[in-house]
Amino acid sequence: MSNPFTRPPTQNERDAASKVMDSCAVKTAFSGAAGYGIGAVFGLVLSGIEFSSPVDTSTSTKQQIKTVFKDMGNKSLSSAKNFAIMAAIYSGSECMIESYRARNDIYNSVAAGCITGGTLAVRTGPRGMAAGCAGFAAFSAAIDWYMHKDD
Amino acid sequence: MFGGAFGGGGGGSNNVAAQRPAPMAGGPMGQGQMDPNAQIAAAEQEMEMVTEMFARLGKLCNKKCIIQRYSDEELTKAESVCLDRCVAKYFQVNRVVNDKLAKLSAANQQQ
Repeated sequence: MSNPFTRPPTQNERDAASKVMDSCAVKTAFSGAAGYGIGAVFGLVLSGIEFSSPVDTSTSTKQQIKTVFKDMGNKSLSSAKNFAIMAAIYSGSECMIESYRARNDIYNSVAAGCITGGTLAVRTGPRGMAAGCAGFAAFSAAIDWYMHKDD
Repeated sequence: MFGGAFGGGGGGSNNVAAQRPAPMAGGPMGQGQMDPNAQIAAAEQEMEMVTEMFARLGKLCNKKCIIQRYSDEELTKAESVCLDRCVAKYFQVNRVVNDKLAKLSAANQQQ
């Protein structure tokens, strides 16, 4: 077999690669990773805006700076985790629904948004789940409409 | 899948070909020419059948599955899934119809 690093890929290799890259699992993983990154940045920004608990002024300045940075890091990480989970659930459910229906319209986004909103609000009981479903479904429908309105 | 389709197509055409005179081995000199001619004719008929099947399949699945708004050159996941299902269903339908037709014609010949 010739060296795969020094020749252009064959059609079979390209087909196999596209099959892997277009699969639902890979899409979910990539969305989760992207969500993690965006969530980290968002958490960083939010921690700057929010008023954090007052720092213990008895410690040295260096200690105070360390405490503040640690707090920022924690907030950023927690936000990153939440965003990653949300993105992974949304992307995975949308991909599966689209594969099942074999149609490409806005209702895939609506259903995926409902599932995501409902899953994220599990702790708040059925009413909270219904509200989360409706809210996130409306949000993702709006975003999807905006992204595809000029197609 | 393809074997079934060709087998069905070949079976269908063989019913017609059976009415032609069968080539006789060891006959007079002219008779030897019929075998390659019959072969060529059978191959042509099969090729025509395959081409027609391919064209029909392409047209049908294009109409059913491909969104007519060409906003992107890549097939979406929905379209590729739909195409897989369309092709599989077409061949399955072909096979079922051929089987039923063969059974019916066998029943007719027995009567």
